[in-house]
Amino acid sequence: MITLALDIITTAAILFIVAAGLLIVFGVMKIVNFAHASFITVGAYAALVTSRFGLPPVLAPFVAFLAGGLIGAATERIVVRRLYRRPLDAILATWGLGIVIGQLVTLAFGREVQFVPAPISGTLAAFGVDYSLYRLLLVPTALVIAGLFAGLLNGTRLGLSTRAVIMNENLAQGLGIDSTRVRLITFGIGCGLAAVAGALITPLASVDPNMGLAWLIGAFMLVMVSGGSLLTLGLSCFVLGGLQVLASTFISPILGGLTIAVLAAVALRLRPQGFARA
Amino acid sequence: MPDLATVHDVAATPLSRSSRPVLRVAIAALVAAAMIGGGPWVLDTYTVNILVRAFFVAIAALTVDVLWGCSGTLTFGQSAFFGIGGYALAIVFTQFGFGPGEAMLAVGAAVGATIVVAGLVGWLSFYPGSTPLYASVISLVLPIVLVQFLYSGGTFTGSSSGLVGFESFDLTLEAWFRLSGLAVIATLVATSIALRSDAGRVLGAMRDNDERCSYLGIDTARVRIGLLVAAAVIAALAGFGYVGFGAVAAPENAGFVFGTQLVVMVALGGRGSLIGAVIGAVVIEVASAYLSTSLPFIWELIVGVAFVAVIVVLPGGLLGGLRDLGRAVRRRGATVSAPVMLRTSEKPNAAPERDAIVVEVSGLSKHFGSLSVLSKISFTARQGELVSLVGPNGAGKTTLIRCLADGRERSEGSVRIAGHSIERLPADRIVGLGLGRKFQAASVFETLSVADCLRVARVRRERPSFLKTSPVLTLPAAARAVVESSGLVERLGDEAQFLSHGLKQALELAMVLALEPKVLLLDEPTAGLTRAERQGFAEILTGLVARERLCVLIIEHDLDFVRLISSRIIVLHQGRIALDGSVADVVDAPLVREIYTGRPASDACGVTP
Repeated sequence: MITLALDIITTAAILFIVAAGLLIVFGVMKIVNFAHASFITVGAYAALVTSRFGLPPVLAPFVAFLAGGLIGAATERIVVRRLYRRPLDAILATWGLGIVIGQLVTLAFGREVQFVPAPISGTLAAFGVDYSLYRLLLVPTALVIAGLFAGLLNGTRLGLSTRAVIMNENLAQGLGIDSTRVRLITFGIGCGLAAVAGALITPLASVDPNMGLAWLIGAFMLVMVSGGSLLTLGLSCFVLGGLQVLASTFISPILGGLTIAVLAAVALRLRPQGFARA
Repeated sequence: MPDLATVHDVAATPLSRSSRPVLRVAIAALVAAAMIGGGPWVLDTYTVNILVRAFFVAIAALTVDVLWGCSGTLTFGQSAFFGIGGYALAIVFTQFGFGPGEAMLAVGAAVGATIVVAGLVGWLSFYPGSTPLYASVISLVLPIVLVQFLYSGGTFTGSSSGLVGFESFDLTLEAWFRLSGLAVIATLVATSIALRSDAGRVLGAMRDNDERCSYLGIDTARVRIGLLVAAAVIAALAGFGYVGFGAVAAPENAGFVFGTQLVVMVALGGRGSLIGAVIGAVVIEVASAYLSTSLPFIWELIVGVAFVAVIVVLPGGLLGGLRDLGRAVRRRGATVSAPVMLRTSEKPNAAPERDAIVVEVSGLSKHFGSLSVLSKISFTARQGELVSLVGPNGAGKTTLIRCLADGRERSEGSVRIAGHSIERLPADRIVGLGLGRKFQAASVFETLSVADCLRVARVRRERPSFLKTSPVLTLPAAARAVVESSGLVERLGDEAQFLSHGLKQALELAMVLALEPKVLLLDEPTAGLTRAERQGFAEILTGLVARERLCVLIIEHDLDFVRLISSRIIVLHQGRIALDGSVADVVDAPLVREIYTGRPASDACGVTP
């Protein structure tokens, strides 16, 4: 029972970490970044490289953020920038970018599955059960990411410009806000966060060039349901992630894997604008 | 009806030209069929093998193009229907063995399962007000769910390794080649005939402007569901052939990645062009087969880069790019559009009750959360009345129009149009009650010709054919008068996007009038028009009211214009009706001055409202 509760909480945290980067891009730019999956992969390989060089594993998320952020910013400049007026085409182009990044990773690291050792191993005895310490640590990590995210958006000048662009881009431009720059930075941060997620989940999963894909649809559906707000994203991760854990435990793991996608699709049918203002 | 109508041949182009595209399609199809017939003698076995698969994939790609390129629904889910068709064959032949009866059963299972699934997916994806993004989301979920079911199916579906080793159709390689090749050609010819037909034009109209279609009385959700079911069945039959040929059904054939590959093929070949999808699919399939062994990762990298490049700089795909190039070489004007014959439709039995009440609003309110935009609006309007809605910005004028035209908009109250309560009906049903709405910004079908825009507006009145393209354009007298007096008659063959602002407004008005409405809603129709255009518009409107006994509700800011045309004026202020009376009563009322100047009437001396 306790294990189940901990499973639900840690699953929600992992989902939140994975979806946060997609949310920021969708919230600001109103486009869906299908290259998100490959940035998760990029982050995972950044963690792999970090551990190969013998650097402390704590650095892995930071290396990943840098790598993902820079590649993300570059792709924004070259490709995504031209597609803001064509949101469906932006989905396709970012999907194509994902193919390109995936193949480049394959060329550099090979196709085979690799493993990154967990920086923290062992279990923690809590509430009378032993539970993976690393999974538990992801909960505060998710909260830190959420906190940084909210702080950046509400406490800084960039955050203010970003919120202005979200609300009314033309007006923001008229007031002298460089919306092109806001978008560049937002896309970079979004991709950086995807890479951080990749680095953080690698100790739980293996690393291969297509690893990100498995996470993409879940993250995408969660962002759609949340309707672009951080709080509702947290909530939907908790509710849908919890249902996923319950379905996997009590019915079948295969059905569990479908829970998020199917429930989110039905939820969107009933409430197309998402649950941001529920 | 045509016997009674007056016929005028407007475009002087000879009729014989309209038969040319048909002839060209027929010749191209015959040449392609001859090539398919001779192919096996020229090509080696390996290539023929690959081509058979490529042809089946090309049919699936063609359905993606119809859904995405022609009707605007980006779909990643056609792979699922391809997979359903393939697995239906594999499961039936594995369970019951091969035989003619079993083959019939397999086809029935493939088509039946596909219709059920596609109907369900369509119901989920398309509803009044659904977004294109949502339909794409559902199309993503479908193959993922299907593949999970295939994985969990145990020996019934062969789980992750798929189904192999069942006996399938005993045909020679040459026969498979000719069968699949002819299937591609037949599908291509059939879809291009259907898309060029009078009914097929509706798809392009939906892609350009779904909302305008609804307000022309077309149930776009139903059209899209029907189209999806048809496209799904064709994709399923392609998958049926693919698995029948290879005698292997694998989960990859139904998966999301294959679904995106189909989109890549269509995008590279040229979306919306049909033949581009076929070329894209065949080229990519063949090249992949040859190159994925020699340059495994580089090849996918090249496809990825090419895909991104095409999406960004060449949205029409390679074929679209070539066509633009061809057009630039030949210059404009060389494109001869089919001639259009204008015809006036017979007037339906003249309104029996003279000047009946056709708009009846009582207690209508609209809230957004705690904000009340309209409260307790009640009024009636009769046939032959021209009622102007005036009021400052934010008074709720456009919201009121929206609440009349779409049953799901208002928060409280009731609306009756021509005696029928609108309940919570969607816009297209209210059009059926006799309401026509013209939007504030001209809302037409940008890539359709003027004549085609008007034909789409007539779809509700005259069932269009799926086979033929009629050269005749039948319009009611009022719409025809607008077309002729505005000068649109000279531009019937031009795409609507090349029209001036004033002509676009006139076109939209003509489209709405083509519905033969009893009530006409106009939202600032004269904004941005020249003085002359405005004068012409006033004459058209007063003529409609006097001759056709239409009831017109018009939002207008220009009080001089309002004074000129109105038979009655309703003043809205802060979501309430402030005044409702004749022109003389309202225009000089102190309240109106106060509302417009924001000052008490005594201060407002010398200000002309």
